[in-house]
Amino acid sequence: MTATIFKKELTEMLRDGRFRWLSTSVLVLLGAAVLMGMAHTRDVQTQHETAQAAARQDWVGQGEKNPHSAVHYGTYAFKPTMALSAIDPGVDPYVGVSAFLEGHRQNQFEFRPAQDATAMQRFGQLTAATVLQLLIPLLVIVMGFSVFAGEREQGTLRQLMSLGISPGRLALGKALGVSGALAIVLVPAAVLGVVALTLATPGAEVAADAPRLAMMVGAYLLYFGVFVALSLAVSAKAPSSRLALVVLLGFWIVNGLVAPRAVTDVARSLYPSPSSFEFTTGIQAALADGLDGQSPTDARMAAYQQEVLAEYGVDSVDELPISFAGLRFQKSEEMGNEVFDYYYGGLNDTFESQNRVRSLSAVVAPLLAVQSLSMGLAGTDVAQHRHFSEAAEEYRRMYVGRMNEDIAQNAGAGRYVAEAGLWASVPEFDYQAPSVGWVLANHRLSILLLFAWLAVALTLAMRAASALRPV
Amino acid sequence: MLKATDLTKTYNGVAALDRLNLEVAPGDVFCLLGANGAGKTTTINLFLNFIEPSGGTAQVNGLDVTRQPLETKRWLAYIPEQVMLYRHLTGLENLDYFTALSGTDHYPPDQLRAFFKQVGLQDGVADQRVSTYSKGMRQKVGIAIALAKQAKALLLDEPTSGLDPKASNEFSRLLQRLSGEGVAVLMATHDLFRAKESGTRVGIMNQGQLKQTLTTAEIGHADLERIYLEQMHD
Repeated sequence: MTATIFKKELTEMLRDGRFRWLSTSVLVLLGAAVLMGMAHTRDVQTQHETAQAAARQDWVGQGEKNPHSAVHYGTYAFKPTMALSAIDPGVDPYVGVSAFLEGHRQNQFEFRPAQDATAMQRFGQLTAATVLQLLIPLLVIVMGFSVFAGEREQGTLRQLMSLGISPGRLALGKALGVSGALAIVLVPAAVLGVVALTLATPGAEVAADAPRLAMMVGAYLLYFGVFVALSLAVSAKAPSSRLALVVLLGFWIVNGLVAPRAVTDVARSLYPSPSSFEFTTGIQAALADGLDGQSPTDARMAAYQQEVLAEYGVDSVDELPISFAGLRFQKSEEMGNEVFDYYYGGLNDTFESQNRVRSLSAVVAPLLAVQSLSMGLAGTDVAQHRHFSEAAEEYRRMYVGRMNEDIAQNAGAGRYVAEAGLWASVPEFDYQAPSVGWVLANHRLSILLLFAWLAVALTLAMRAASALRPV
Repeated sequence: MLKATDLTKTYNGVAALDRLNLEVAPGDVFCLLGANGAGKTTTINLFLNFIEPSGGTAQVNGLDVTRQPLETKRWLAYIPEQVMLYRHLTGLENLDYFTALSGTDHYPPDQLRAFFKQVGLQDGVADQRVSTYSKGMRQKVGIAIALAKQAKALLLDEPTSGLDPKASNEFSRLLQRLSGEGVAVLMATHDLFRAKESGTRVGIMNQGQLKQTLTTAEIGHADLERIYLEQMHD
C-alpha cells in the first residue's frame, strides 16, 4: 500500500512540468558546483604539492650559510587539501591554507581567497554545500507543501480518506514520494561527484576519504529528512496549501538566511574577537615589554645572560664553552613563543567559543548543525585549521630550535658558516590530518541536534497526519 | 448495515443534524431528501467519520465509526457530489490507485477496464489524463471506484448531479442491481423522481431533522412531491 502511494506520488510529480523544470535547474547547479569545486580542489592540490616540494628544495639547497640566516630564510607549510573540500570549502577561503614559517614570529595564514574577493562574492560562492544546505531544502518544500493541503483543496483527500487507509501509511507513502523525487536530483549529482572525485584524486586517497564521504552523505540525508517531515507536518496541519507554503518558506528563510547571520552577530558580541590592529599591536607590545608590560626584553636578556654565566661559573660570554649567540637566539625565540601562545591561544579560544554558540544555536536552525558537520567532514572547519596551524607552529619551533642549537654548539668567535648538510637534517614537514573520530567528537553536539531535529519533525508529521481530516 | 442512533452534530450550538435515527438494511436503498443545509451531507460525513458527532452514534455493520474508523470504512464506498481525481494520472491509473488503497485484491488491467465499460465510459477514455475529463466522466470513474471496492454499503452524496439523463438512468439501474445483490445504499439527493425510481425508502429532512420516512413502493410520485413540499413549509 505504501509502495502504491509512493509510486503514485512520484508519477504525479514527474508529470508535473514545474517539478521537471525546477529539479533540472537544481541538478544543473549542483552538478556545476561539484565539478567547479573538484577542478578548484585539484588545482589547489597540485599547486600545494609543487609549492611544498619547491619550498623543501629551497630549504635543503640553501648552501653553506649561517644557520640564523636560514632561520630568517624560512620555509612554507601548506595545509593538505582533502578532496571533500571540493564539496565544502568551509572556512579555508577565509583563514587561508599556507603559512610562512620563519624565525622570531608566528605568522598569520596566507593565501586567503576571500581577501581578494569582490563585494559580490561576499554573498557566497556557489559551492555544492550551499546548494545542498539551501537549495535542496527549498526544492523539498516546493515538492512537499501541497502533499496534504493540495489534496484537501482539490477534494481528492475526501475520496482517499473514505477508503479506510491508515494516516500513518499515507504519510509514509507521501514522504517516500517526495524523497524519491529528491533522489532523482541527488543520485545523479552524487554519482557525478564520486566519479569526479575518483578521477581527480589517486585511488588510495579516495578510499581514505570514503568514510568521511559516507558520513557527509548521512548528515545531509538527515537534514533533508527534517525538511521532508516538516513539509508533511505543515501541509497536513495548514488550512490551505498557500498558508503551508508561506509557513514553510518562512522557516526556510529563518533557517538559511536569518539564523546564520544573527547567530554570528550574537557569537561575536558574546565573545568579541580582537581587530587585526589590536591583535598585531598587542603582540608587538608584549614582544618588547613582556606579557605583563613591565619586563623589557633587554632586561630579561641581561638577566638570562647572568644566569648562564652563573651556571657555567664564568665571568664573561667569551669564556663560555658554547656560543652564547645560539643560546640568546633560542631565549629570544622562547620569550616570543610565550607571547604567541598567549595571543594566538586566546584568539583560537575566542573562535572556539564563538563556534560553540553556533553549534548550540542549531536548536533553532538545523542548517547550523549540518553546516558545521559538513565542514568538519570536509576537513575545512575551524578546529582542523587550528590543528594544522598548531602543527605548523610546532614544526617552526622545532627547526628554529635546531638551528639555534647548531649555532650554540658549533659557532666560535668570528663568522660561523654551517655545512650544507645541516638543512637536510631537519625532517620534512609531514602533517597528519586528524582522524574522523576526532572530527566527530568535535561535532557531537551538531550530530545530536541533527538527530533531535529529525525526531521532532517526524513526531510532528505523524501527529499531524493522524489528526488529518478531509473537511 | 448502516445505523444511526440519536446521531447529532452541532456547530456553535446550532444543530446541523438533530437526533437522527436511521437504519439501512442490506438491499435497502434509502434516499435522503431535503434542501441544502437539511443535514444530508452532514449525515454522510458522520458515517465516514470525517467529522466527530456531538452526540449519538453512527454504526457500520455493527461497529462504531469513531471507535473503528478504518475497519468501518472497509465496508463502505463513497461517491461525492463532485468526484475529484488526480489530474496528472489517467482514468485507469486513478481507478488502479483508489482500488489498490481500498485494500481489495489487486485487479489486473483488463478487469479495471471492464469496470469502465460497466459504468458506461467509452474505450480509449481510460488511458487519457483525467484533466481532459468532463464532470460526468469523473462521476463515472467515481462509480467505477465504488464498484471495484465491492462495498457492502454505499454512501452517495448527490451522485447523479452532472450526469446526463441517460447516464443517470443507467446509474439508477446499477443501484437496483447492487441492491439486489444485498448492498445497503444511503443516498442524499434533490431529485424526487430519481429517489422514487431507485429508492426503496425515502426520508425527508429539514433543518437537521428527519421529518418523515416513506416506502416508495407504497406511494405515487405526486404524493411524494406533495408530502415533501408540506415538510419544507414547516
